[in-house]
Amino acid sequence: MSMYPKELERALLNVQKPGRYVGGEALSMVKDKKDVEVRFAFCFPDIYEIGMSHLGIKILYGAFNQIPYFWCERVFAPWIDMEAEMTARGVPLYALESGDPVKDFDFIGFTLQYELSYTNILNMLKLAGIPLRSADRTELFNIVVAGGPCACNPEPLADFFDLFFLGDGEEVDLEVMELYRQCKKEGASKKEFLRRAAQIEGVYVPSLYEAAYNPDGTVKSYTPKEGAPATVRKSSVKDMDGAYFPESFPVPMIEVVHDRVSVEVLRGCIRGCRFCQAGFLYRPFREKSIETIDRQCQALCASTGYDEISLSSLSTSDYSRLNDLLDQLHTWTEDQKISLSLPSLRVDNFSPELMARVNSVRKSGLTFAPEAGSQRLRDVINKNVTQEELMRTVTVAFQEGWTRIKLYFMIGLPTETMEDVQAILELGQAVVDAFYQCKDKPKGKAVEVSLSAAAFVPKPFTPFQWFGQDSMEVLQEKQRELKGKRPPRRVSVSYHGAQTSFLEAVFARGDRRLCAVLEKAAEYGLRMDGWDECFDYAKWLEAFAACGLDPAFYANRQRNFDEVFPWDHLDYGVTKEFLMEECKRAYAAQTTPNCREKCSGCGASCFKGGICVGGR
Amino acid sequence: MGDVKTVRVWFQKTGAAKYISHLDLTRCMARALKLSGLPVWYTEGFNPHIYMTFGMPLSLGTGGLRECMDIRLTEEASLEDAAEQLRRHLPQDISVLSVTIPEDPFDAVAYGEYELRLEAEDPESLWQKLQELLAQDVVLVKKRTKKGEKEVDVKPHFTQIESRTLPGWLVLLAVLPCGPQGSVNPSLLLEALEVHKNLRPYGEITRCRLLKKDFSDIR
Repeated sequence: MSMYPKELERALLNVQKPGRYVGGEALSMVKDKKDVEVRFAFCFPDIYEIGMSHLGIKILYGAFNQIPYFWCERVFAPWIDMEAEMTARGVPLYALESGDPVKDFDFIGFTLQYELSYTNILNMLKLAGIPLRSADRTELFNIVVAGGPCACNPEPLADFFDLFFLGDGEEVDLEVMELYRQCKKEGASKKEFLRRAAQIEGVYVPSLYEAAYNPDGTVKSYTPKEGAPATVRKSSVKDMDGAYFPESFPVPMIEVVHDRVSVEVLRGCIRGCRFCQAGFLYRPFREKSIETIDRQCQALCASTGYDEISLSSLSTSDYSRLNDLLDQLHTWTEDQKISLSLPSLRVDNFSPELMARVNSVRKSGLTFAPEAGSQRLRDVINKNVTQEELMRTVTVAFQEGWTRIKLYFMIGLPTETMEDVQAILELGQAVVDAFYQCKDKPKGKAVEVSLSAAAFVPKPFTPFQWFGQDSMEVLQEKQRELKGKRPPRRVSVSYHGAQTSFLEAVFARGDRRLCAVLEKAAEYGLRMDGWDECFDYAKWLEAFAACGLDPAFYANRQRNFDEVFPWDHLDYGVTKEFLMEECKRAYAAQTTPNCREKCSGCGASCFKGGICVGGR
Repeated sequence: MGDVKTVRVWFQKTGAAKYISHLDLTRCMARALKLSGLPVWYTEGFNPHIYMTFGMPLSLGTGGLRECMDIRLTEEASLEDAAEQLRRHLPQDISVLSVTIPEDPFDAVAYGEYELRLEAEDPESLWQKLQELLAQDVVLVKKRTKKGEKEVDVKPHFTQIESRTLPGWLVLLAVLPCGPQGSVNPSLLLEALEVHKNLRPYGEITRCRLLKKDFSDIR
């Protein structure tokens, strides 16, 4: 921003970390308004430090801005201190590049990363002075759109958004912006624009679908109107080497959560862990070539000045030629004092050789995610990791000098018993034992094992989409089982709140009627629900009651296989039949091979990309 | 260290950059130095990083018109070119003025010259109030330190204050202790106005330059 309004300057002097709100970063894209035809406000419904750590915003920001007549700017949710200042001083929500109010933009686009950010979306629209409901915005202007993983069931937000992007956004977003530009030129109405947008693959226009409900409250049907397709298929980038990837992005002046270059090495996941929504949503598994990754890493280091690269994906150690890739990157990163990091490690391919080649992992701690304590339950969730593998891995880690191990688990998984919960503690004990049995363990240091347990949230498009989440009472009982008993020596236990997981479960599989609850919640001033200091469970329950809706209906109800889901008219390639089959296998504790071992016929081959066509 | 040569980078920190902390500034500088391709010297520890040392950190929200930072170069480089290369890679509101060979060590810094712009409908009357304030025997203000709060008399520091008026603004110029021997934050004057005169004018603070004990510019 070149000029700040005086009121903004005053606000900035009264808030924590004012650097969040000023823009001015190197490589941020400032265009001349007279050359621009379509302005897009890319809104991240969380604070700056979190939004600026997100790779998706960087990809789309670059993709939009490479078109001379599009200008994409960034907007983040103000923290509560800044929100209060802005409200008191009448400063509307603004974009960081131009400082212009969000209500001046053609598109207002949100990324849907987690359910607990939904109230931030409504709050940001309010701060921008834009009517919340799509029906109340009648002009072909202020088109409110969204994409991201939670767009796979956007129904709880359906009344607020004009359209949703399903799947990969790099191409379809631009197509819709072009259509808007065309419609503007023709003087077409918003209705006409939406009608035409609905014909583009990967675009879901919720107002063109009539939802009907059964007397028991479940969905009866979705009926398309005005020529909208009966099902909307996600868009999927076929060739990751050909897909747009930015050569630069705005480099934050203040420290953000992931303050480094991040290059996506592959999209999708071969694994098929049954609790993991991303593992199904992003199919098929598609890798970039070593040449592409190398070029993109070099370009980003040369433009940003960062000295760390994160090779990012859902499971980077599944990259088929990881060693060759690291060899190639090392030909220049060492000279340039650039370190490499992998965001996630798998228990079954951790090796000292790999660790020596990435500098990510501080000697202080290593994190693994067995997800469940017992082998039986790990088979249920198709997390194909054995206790022997975990023991081998931690022993190697101890030999290499690590003494702190963090293990992630979930409680409330389908078929879980108290024995399974106890098995989490036993696994922690086994890791401690492995330390004392290890002959080459670090001298003079004690082992520390921390076990972290999150409550499981069933998600759409997973084999557990039919599963009724454990009630709060059951979850709390399981937490007591973990925490109440004295944990083994050198083992510590922590868990995340069951209340936020419950709320996530409601909105993850919710339907359109929940729009009223969100509206009510925003009216009550709820936002930043992912932050302990803001989360107000009692107020949420009040909002549900005020709308006459029972949250347990959405979170805790076990669904039948023949139930129509609010997301059944959205098509992510993976078929409902496959998910049903996987669900049955889960309850029989049968595992399913990964995509590299054997194709299980999930349906994602309809996209004709990656591992589905390239062999394994 | 062989033929390592220390050079001093002079820069401004204004606009958006006013709102980033000193630690954030060092990170921005490190990235820009890396991008500049200048032959900068890295520390030789377990985790080598670019050697940088700053004159005096600025408070968050305070602008700086002539700040300085020392780096070391391992090869001969033209100072003008170095300034240009670094300038190209910094955010627009951190702008390099020049690169020089340092004449004074940073511990010679003793004072900072500050400009305080106070918004006022009637700048003359604000100046009157300020003079009344400074006519008191003592002007006590609570100062927050790492050890807690303590009361200090800020009057002695602001007796030499100069003023001028612009439409809507009272502009003050103050030379305050600023250096390894101790510093006085110019915002204490604003706090004194609030505590003693119940006035809360909006104020913009800018450090114009750093001075030695004899009030000459640090070089």
